[in-house]
Amino acid sequence: MGFEIMEDIRKDYVYDLIGSGKRVDGRGFREYREISVERDLIKNAEGSALVKIGDTVVLVGVKLEPGEPFPDAPNQGVIMTNAELVPMASPDFEPGPPDENSVELARIVDRGIRGSEAIDLEKLCIEAGEKVWMVFIDIHVLDNDGNLVDAAALGAIASLLNTRIPNEKYGLTGEDVLPIRGTPVAVTTVEIGGNILVDPNLYEENAAASKLTVISNAAGALNGMQKSGSGGLKVEEIAEMVDIGLEKAKEIREKYLVT
Amino acid sequence: MGEEIKLIKDGKRLDGRGFEELRPIKIEVGILKRADGSCYFELGNNKVIAAVYGPREMHPRHFQDAKMAVVKYRYNMAPFSVDDRKRPGPDRRSVEISKVSREALDPVIIKEYYPKTAIDVYVEVLQSDAGTRTAGINAASVALAAAGIPMRDLVSSIAVGKIDGEVVLDLSAAEDNYGEADMPVAMVARTNTITMLQMDGQFSKEEFERGLKLATSACRKIYELQRTALVEKYSESVGEGEA
Amino acid sequence: MRSMYKVVVPGDFITEEVNRAGEGTYVADGRVYAMKYGIIDDKEEIKVVALSGKYVPSRGDIVIGKIVEISYPYWIIDIGSPYEARLHLSELAKGEEKRIEFGSMNKYLDLGDLVVAKVLNVDSMMRVDLALKEEFKIGGRGRLLEISHTKVPRVIGRSGSMIKMLKEKCNCFIFIAKNGRIWIKGSEDEMNLASQVVLMIANEAHTSGLTDRVANFLDSFKRKKEEDKGKEWEKK
Repeated sequence: MGFEIMEDIRKDYVYDLIGSGKRVDGRGFREYREISVERDLIKNAEGSALVKIGDTVVLVGVKLEPGEPFPDAPNQGVIMTNAELVPMASPDFEPGPPDENSVELARIVDRGIRGSEAIDLEKLCIEAGEKVWMVFIDIHVLDNDGNLVDAAALGAIASLLNTRIPNEKYGLTGEDVLPIRGTPVAVTTVEIGGNILVDPNLYEENAAASKLTVISNAAGALNGMQKSGSGGLKVEEIAEMVDIGLEKAKEIREKYLVT
Repeated sequence: MGEEIKLIKDGKRLDGRGFEELRPIKIEVGILKRADGSCYFELGNNKVIAAVYGPREMHPRHFQDAKMAVVKYRYNMAPFSVDDRKRPGPDRRSVEISKVSREALDPVIIKEYYPKTAIDVYVEVLQSDAGTRTAGINAASVALAAAGIPMRDLVSSIAVGKIDGEVVLDLSAAEDNYGEADMPVAMVARTNTITMLQMDGQFSKEEFERGLKLATSACRKIYELQRTALVEKYSESVGEGEA
Repeated sequence: MRSMYKVVVPGDFITEEVNRAGEGTYVADGRVYAMKYGIIDDKEEIKVVALSGKYVPSRGDIVIGKIVEISYPYWIIDIGSPYEARLHLSELAKGEEKRIEFGSMNKYLDLGDLVVAKVLNVDSMMRVDLALKEEFKIGGRGRLLEISHTKVPRVIGRSGSMIKMLKEKCNCFIFIAKNGRIWIKGSEDEMNLASQVVLMIANEAHTSGLTDRVANFLDSFKRKKEEDKGKEWEKK
């Protein structure tokens, strides 16, 4: 009960500040928190990246295993994306099967990877109809201070960009490195009192009624979108959010994903 | 995937529709006896039923909200609804669809009227041909109104996509499987407010804008159909009264 | 021909006279819109009379409830609402000389018993407190009907005209509670007729000319009965 009351006070506080053009942490409306990307830190994973956006921390690990292709795509590799909202990351995360938030998070990141065709799935074919590489992208949220999607998506593509293919382990031969041909970047904005803010921290996420994630590739094409939250958005607000999405994705890509 | 499948032949889609044409829609209000509100909805070959129970007591108690009703939405596909039998029970796709659908309807429900209660929305897909989540939201809107739930507006929903490079309205399953983009949208017709927006595949910014415009205008047409179904329900529910 | 009242759905625009906005409507941007699926009642206030929806108790409502739990010192009562009601044992102990003991509450009112009660209060936490009416216990050979609480005004009729007609022509004791529960008492035949008519009213609540139609139905039913009786006599 005490926590709820605090939430309400915080919400008003956030609203009032934004009304006067300020954010809780002093950022501009179109400004991201500090981002850091550390790659290849988990040796047992074929690819990995630790992404921090402000105080949000997400660790993504990529593992490859040979497996059976889907019957309707016999010569294509398989991508499986999963997210865990690990209980230590927030007092609101409980152990147990994936809840709707972790399912949604995984599926949004997956959408971006698939839509951008970042992984050439046909290059993952080992034996058509029999054996292909399965790419497991596992998102491990370690600390939640808002905007898990952008951190997770950035972690996913950053991991994939330096993922080894463990041929030796399985007695196979082939390419050493996972062939990646796209760099999808997710940018999430929220609407609060008619204002559009990028990279919401936890307070802002809770205060906002609607959130929109826009995923785009290097060519400026849109590869995924997801509105979440219990509010509605005007078409003009969506247009602004898409513009911000494209602009910020370009900045993030150039700064963190160019090897 | 072998051969390229042509989804547009001679300017027409596989099922003969034009690029901006909706599949036929059928709406029946109040088809279930036990539910507080219900609606059967057909969108082309999609057949879905939405049922609303509530407001009713919310269990477990600790999930109650002291100030307002809690809306719950469960989207579920019957095992026989798709070509390759779907194992019963919620899968990850259903979990996500349930979430975004609930968030599509939440903005219009006046929850403050029924504190501490639950409003349960159940959507069952009986037959699927792409677009089931949009059919579900359309049906759920009508079922909520029929149940007497206080709402600001009805919500209407449809998907747009891209096939063979063309932006088209209301994808069928083949178009969804072999197309280049899929974007389900939900909207409040009266205020032009978008309450659900998802996209996967590839859209240029301009294609996205065109698609959104197409979707919103189709939603307005669907709204008229939803409204008519509700209004006409009363002109036919007058039973054999006269002796 | 039956004529219809105007049916509205949530979000329908009703009027710009914001000061007349009544129950079942909401105001946005200086305009009045329908908040519920129902029919417009255009008098001094403009209301939308919902034809479905759950009963929410208000202070002063008379309801028929069923005892569903005994939890000293309260009886917990189902009043057909998302909110349960409770009756404190002091409400029953008023006339009693002895205090009602823990463990003996069921001797006064047991699980499954039906009572007529008045809503004393509904607090901000939606706790509903009831008080018993004098003749509170419902029992004996009667029938409990349940219709949507939204149809109760129609069954009562303007200034009680409909319910008066029902009581006379069906020759039954009929008690209608605000929460849509109706207690009728009479012979089997009389109760059957009353039930049928109540359901007819509930189904056609949204049409006009209903009172006349119900009157005609009851009269023709009476005539037919008399005809049948006459035929019976002839056989003898």
